[in-house]
Amino acid sequence: MVTRADIEDMLARTAMGDRAAFAGLYRATSAKLFGVALRILNDRGEAEEVLQEVFVRIWHKADRYRANGLSPMTWLITVARNLSIDRLRRLRAAGAAQGGDPDAAVAQLADPAPGPEAQIVAAGERTRLDACLDELDGARAGAVRGAYLEGLSYAELAVRHEVPLNTMRTWLRRSLLKLRECLSR
Amino acid sequence: MSEGGPEREDDRIRAAEYALGLLAEAEAEAFATRLRDDPELRAEYALWATHLAGLADGDKVTPPARVWQGIETGLFGFAPAAPGRSRWRYWGGWGLGAALAGMLVVLLLYVGPFGPPTVSQAELVAHIEAESGDLRVLAGYDAATGQLEVSRIAGEPAPGRSFELWLIAGDAAPVSLGLLPERARGVLRVPDALGPQMAGATLAISDEPAGGSPTGQPTGAVLAAGQVITAS
Repeated sequence: MVTRADIEDMLARTAMGDRAAFAGLYRATSAKLFGVALRILNDRGEAEEVLQEVFVRIWHKADRYRANGLSPMTWLITVARNLSIDRLRRLRAAGAAQGGDPDAAVAQLADPAPGPEAQIVAAGERTRLDACLDELDGARAGAVRGAYLEGLSYAELAVRHEVPLNTMRTWLRRSLLKLRECLSR
Repeated sequence: MSEGGPEREDDRIRAAEYALGLLAEAEAEAFATRLRDDPELRAEYALWATHLAGLADGDKVTPPARVWQGIETGLFGFAPAAPGRSRWRYWGGWGLGAALAGMLVVLLLYVGPFGPPTVSQAELVAHIEAESGDLRVLAGYDAATGQLEVSRIAGEPAPGRSFELWLIAGDAAPVSLGLLPERARGVLRVPDALGPQMAGATLAISDEPAGGSPTGQPTGAVLAAGQVITAS
């Protein structure tokens, strides 16, 4: 069992250029981070490429994880999530540019049914945030998930939920405050 | 953040929007700057980041081995040196390599293995050789780029084993510089922190399980060693 202290130690040694520690960090965390990339990208090839980017980033920025006050595992998952979202956004933009059809771009924003990969990896434990999202209206919970797991902007969320942009903003901000209250309960 | 007021509410929303990636670029940068100086805001961001990470955190899926190979190649340059970056590209293989090896031996005779150590921009070289001559590797270090170019003139790892290169500076424990590339020539990246220790240090090659020492220290026999000296 790899503990938080182990991961912290491996990150600290990785920051000093210790390649054995870096390899250990990969052994300890790559399956989890690959799961994150698969969950978001739902495509093995893309997820593999992102996982490589994730560990290149970790090698170069291992000294930074304390800066934002995150636990080491949260930092690692956040790096994996952010790079996966960057790629997903690029793929979406490339798809839209290729199609050149605005309707197609909107159709891409339709709430996707989870593919087989996503269904496998989404079967993990329910979290406190899941429980709090359940207290929100379904569409609003969907908007929070859409922002985090699909990297949708306010404008894209407004399109998906067929509401004006300002309405979307107001609704999501209210939902975030409700969530925040629930999380601190 | 003031207790309970609208400012605090605003910061809570901002922190969540930042964690969700909903802020425009300029807003996100401004928020990141505030994060650095405001521990309370950092805690608020950390709370969101932690809970949201749970959404992305699904089942573990073991990635295929090629992912790690790709990371090593990308980071540590196990691929051939980038063209146009190095004078070593003029070697043209064995003949010149052997000639340079001869030159190094002459150099060792003149300068001696304890020649003046220097951490200047001068290129550093090492002739890493087994007593038997069965394993011979030349290494050239460019302090400006941190690149260590290695050329294996003789010797191959046993099947299922790897050659691992170690930096031994003074009395310090060996620090791994990575596996020798499978090809005869390649480039390793020396971490910046180790650069100043290169001059006068010893480079050594050990016999390790495939993929390298599992412990971070040499576990197999040390097969060859040589000192890092100034090339000019």
